Amino acid sequence: MSLYFPAWFCWIIPFVGAPLIFLAEKINNRLRDGLAVSLPFLSMLMCLMLLPNLLTQNYFEEEFVWVSIPNLKPITIGVLVDPLSIIIANVVAFISFLIMVYSIKYMHGEEGVARYWFMMNLFIGGMLLLVLANNFIFFLAGWKTVGLCSYALIGHYYRDEPKDWIGGPPPTPYQTPSQCGLKAWIMTSVGDIFLLAGLILLYLYSGTVNFTELFQTQNLWMPTLTATPGMLTLISILLLCGPLGKSAQFPLHEWLPEAMAGPAPVSALIHAATMVKAGVYMVARFLPVFFYGYWVGGFNEALTFFILAAYIGGFTAFLTGTQAMVSLELKKALAYSTMSQIGYMMLGLGIAGLNPKALILGYVAGIFHLISHALFKASLFLCSGTVIHECKSIYMTDMGGIKKEMPITWFLMWISALSLAGFPFLSGFWSKDAVLASCLTAQNYWLFMLALGTAALTSFYSIRFMGLTFHGDKSNHLAKLEKEGEKLKEASPLMWIPYGILTTITILVGVTGPFFESFIHHIFESFLHETLHLPINGFNSEPTTHLLVPLASIGVFLLGGIPAYLLYIKRQISSEKILTSYTSLFKIKTFFWNRWYIDPLYNLVFVKTILKLRPYVEKFIEHPMDVAYNVGVPKLMSYLYFKIRKFQTGILPYNMLYILLFIIATIISLLVVWS
Amino acid sequence: MYLPYSLLQTVLIPLIMASFTAFVGRKVGKKAGWITFSTLAYTTIVLCMVGVEVLRKGYVYEEYVWIPILEVKFGFLADGLSLPVALAMNVTCAALALFSVNYIEHRIEIIYGHGEEKNFLYAIYHSLFLVFPAGLVWISLTTDLIVVYLALELIHIPLYIIMYYFGYVERRRIALMSFLWGTAGASVFFVGVLLAYTQTKSFAILSLQGLTGNPLAFWICLFMLIGILIKMAVFGFQAWLPWVHAEHPTCIAGILANIVGIGNYIIARILIQQMFKTFQMLSIPTMILALVTMVYGAFLTLAQDDVKRLYACSTISQTAYSLLGLASCTTLGIVGGIFWFISHAFGKCILFSLAGVLVYQLGIRDMKQMGGLAQKMPLTAVLCILGSMILSAVPPLSGFISKWILFSGVFLQGIQSGLFIFVVAMLSMIATAFTVVYTFWPVKRMFFGPIPSNLKNVKEAPLIMVGPLLALALISILIGIYPNLVMDFLVSWAENLKI
Repeated sequence: MSLYFPAWFCWIIPFVGAPLIFLAEKINNRLRDGLAVSLPFLSMLMCLMLLPNLLTQNYFEEEFVWVSIPNLKPITIGVLVDPLSIIIANVVAFISFLIMVYSIKYMHGEEGVARYWFMMNLFIGGMLLLVLANNFIFFLAGWKTVGLCSYALIGHYYRDEPKDWIGGPPPTPYQTPSQCGLKAWIMTSVGDIFLLAGLILLYLYSGTVNFTELFQTQNLWMPTLTATPGMLTLISILLLCGPLGKSAQFPLHEWLPEAMAGPAPVSALIHAATMVKAGVYMVARFLPVFFYGYWVGGFNEALTFFILAAYIGGFTAFLTGTQAMVSLELKKALAYSTMSQIGYMMLGLGIAGLNPKALILGYVAGIFHLISHALFKASLFLCSGTVIHECKSIYMTDMGGIKKEMPITWFLMWISALSLAGFPFLSGFWSKDAVLASCLTAQNYWLFMLALGTAALTSFYSIRFMGLTFHGDKSNHLAKLEKEGEKLKEASPLMWIPYGILTTITILVGVTGPFFESFIHHIFESFLHETLHLPINGFNSEPTTHLLVPLASIGVFLLGGIPAYLLYIKRQISSEKILTSYTSLFKIKTFFWNRWYIDPLYNLVFVKTILKLRPYVEKFIEHPMDVAYNVGVPKLMSYLYFKIRKFQTGILPYNMLYILLFIIATIISLLVVWS
Repeated sequence: MYLPYSLLQTVLIPLIMASFTAFVGRKVGKKAGWITFSTLAYTTIVLCMVGVEVLRKGYVYEEYVWIPILEVKFGFLADGLSLPVALAMNVTCAALALFSVNYIEHRIEIIYGHGEEKNFLYAIYHSLFLVFPAGLVWISLTTDLIVVYLALELIHIPLYIIMYYFGYVERRRIALMSFLWGTAGASVFFVGVLLAYTQTKSFAILSLQGLTGNPLAFWICLFMLIGILIKMAVFGFQAWLPWVHAEHPTCIAGILANIVGIGNYIIARILIQQMFKTFQMLSIPTMILALVTMVYGAFLTLAQDDVKRLYACSTISQTAYSLLGLASCTTLGIVGGIFWFISHAFGKCILFSLAGVLVYQLGIRDMKQMGGLAQKMPLTAVLCILGSMILSAVPPLSGFISKWILFSGVFLQGIQSGLFIFVVAMLSMIATAFTVVYTFWPVKRMFFGPIPSNLKNVKEAPLIMVGPLLALALISILIGIYPNLVMDFLVSWAENLKI
């Protein structure tokens, strides 16, 4: 067997095994669940087998011919094992396995469990394919597969029963799961269309779809490409549209809040820990090409890629951070937070290309934050799933005061929330610091300030959602439930152990933060600088230990955290009263609540307008053409028929006359032709 | 193993069996559908064997003398282009033959009631049905222009009669409309054929190569192209297609999509392979027309509430994808265009037949009256999603890689030809975003959400209806996973293409 088999089998196993789940269900449910969880377990084992390659720096690629292309090289199917793919694949496989374990209990007794397991396994296979593919056609195949699974899993409760709706409370409209799934699918597909255009253009100029070849041969194709002014800028924009859609970044970010209509494990796995990071992975994968193009090749347009990634990332982090501050739905608050944190990752990777000094720092910051966020956000979503399940409501205002009933979940969720908030010495603190430090290293103070401001927002909304969910008095909703005989209880160990493990790792990464960062720093420095020969302008050191960054970070943590603590944990001040007293604050809150009016605007332009214009295409174009062809022409024919019929009198002399006229006309015609 | 007279068999046996079915059908009634299916299953196997031979030798050619005294001959050519097209046509027809067994029974019961002696109706339907694959495969395999014309006309005869007998409310008017439009297209094409004959003194497709530099070549190409474009229902000539699709029995809807799409093959075989330089002159206007058709077809599809018209209008848009690829005049675009046509044939067969399943089980076509059907018809819902995935180019179905190849060709032309064509390529790519909307929005409207109270007792369609569609989806998945099943053929053809 090939030495490279783990890189193949880790994504083939879930793909091949997924359909068997339906067969297993025919036998019994235990076998079904067992099979469904054992597939990601095997995938995880396969991915773990790749980890030693990180230490030995034994990176490889293996491929086979897949499809012949006329006049061009055949397209291959292959795997690429390098530090980026090893790390991301392990994050994906590990978190997937834990979430699948959690799902056993969470989905117990639900309808469509086999469908759920099938789609989750397909997703895991798609995600691992995306990460390990050595060319961008298979990368795209994985990319589309995970998108499709996301669509199916968001709309898992496709019957659209009111209990599964999200959104509201009135006057804010509710959305049904099937609506939300469709929105996510269409919106991400729009990004994918542009991504496809960008990839095809790259393919046509470079003649390859292989990532390694694309990088290695850029001296040959980049000059041809840049001979057309604007082409590289266009390709940069087109390529970034994919990640903007998939990773829910402005302006294609509006689908993710609604993606929370799916079951909590889906939100945890797909819409927090893995799929939404695919965009970040893609930016990281293409980064060396554009970096080399600008800093070595001197092709100015290559910088567009980094400018866009950095600024859109920074802006999205802030934009969605503000929305998380006012959200009432627990999972939606976490979704806004996910977009915001992915913004940080994009910012880190974008910064990496803006200044060679920040290359390693920015790159490592992006990947480090990706890992750290995947751990604590998956844990947060799983905790939120437990809480929502117990409280039977999606709104935080229907919760409150439940820490006694759910102490384990409370504790684990606090740790994860603090990590998200950037509490010192938890994983989020170090990874966010790394992003901030890379901004400083690149001397981009605007982005640094924006990221710092967003950190304050993060701290505020993290403590807010914890306060609203677990602290203060019990809500009227819970009181009513208790009256009805419902009793809140802690989650089953099968559910809390997975998020317990995730939280424990968050703590471990936090405790070993600088060492952990240094470890991946070393790996990527050796990969980017020594293997790929990317220049880093003499800046060849361990991660910076700017004192300013941790201090500023702690400062903004307190800046956001203290008001949130007073408002939502101590409840010394009422947020409602503040909003009533200060109309300007109320207006700002309304602005944030309405998602900066971006979602309503999209809805107006792309949904309502199209629905309104729909009948007019039929009415003003199709119908007139239909009438002209299918009514007008036959009418014209019958008109001509009636006119011509008049010549058919049936009177012999007239007929003789016609014959004579015909003969004369024929003779004249022949004479004309003959002459 | 290669059977003697294989290519002749693929055309002649369905025609012979059509006559046989016409007689036997009167005795066996509904079961005549199985004769149709068995015939097509046999011809499919024969074509597969020919496929192996084509891969081995490059092509298979058979020539037969029709009228010895006049030395009238006709030939069949299976090469990298014609074989996959013929096979796709035959396979989809075979699946639809099986699908028809129950569906046509349902139509006959609705139109002609339960009591009467109806065997002759089954005989009419199932015998005429066999003319479609014979005609489509003949178009694919023939080496003669006149046969292309005759087969184009031939196909419209069963279409007319089947619609006349088994269609919906306005079936008689629309049957005539369909026949007239079909004849109009074929006639314009025939003008081109006759003009070519005046110059080459031959009806052989190959003889068109001798027209290079001929002042009439442009007009020959133009007439043939317009004739094909009428058949392909491009913008300006599309007014017949939604009507015809709305009124005919849904079991032949997939075939109609094939009839519309076969125009792409004719363009590739005749205009591109034989008259490339001349066709190149028409490349830009055809690309623009394809773009307009893609966009207009998409908007028109979005406007539909009738599930049959929905997929009819989407055919307008989807067929234009292939046209765009062919019109790009690049090898990649041409191969991609044909690959997309084959892929689309599977997808559209599934979706149209699915509309038939809904009509069969629900008795309604209006999507406004549907919803939540996935609860009752999960297999149908899965089929609808799979069909939509083919059209939306989602892996692992065949649409994914064919779209990649097609648009690679279109963009290549854009890069080579300057800003204007580049913009056309870009806009056409953007236009494909509508496909996701107009395929997946109906999925939601029909299958998700609460189920209306009047549909609570609906059941899944019988296996004989959904089974063949699942088989088509599996073939599409197979091609998606291993595209060389098609591409090995197309590449072997394209590499000899002198462009």
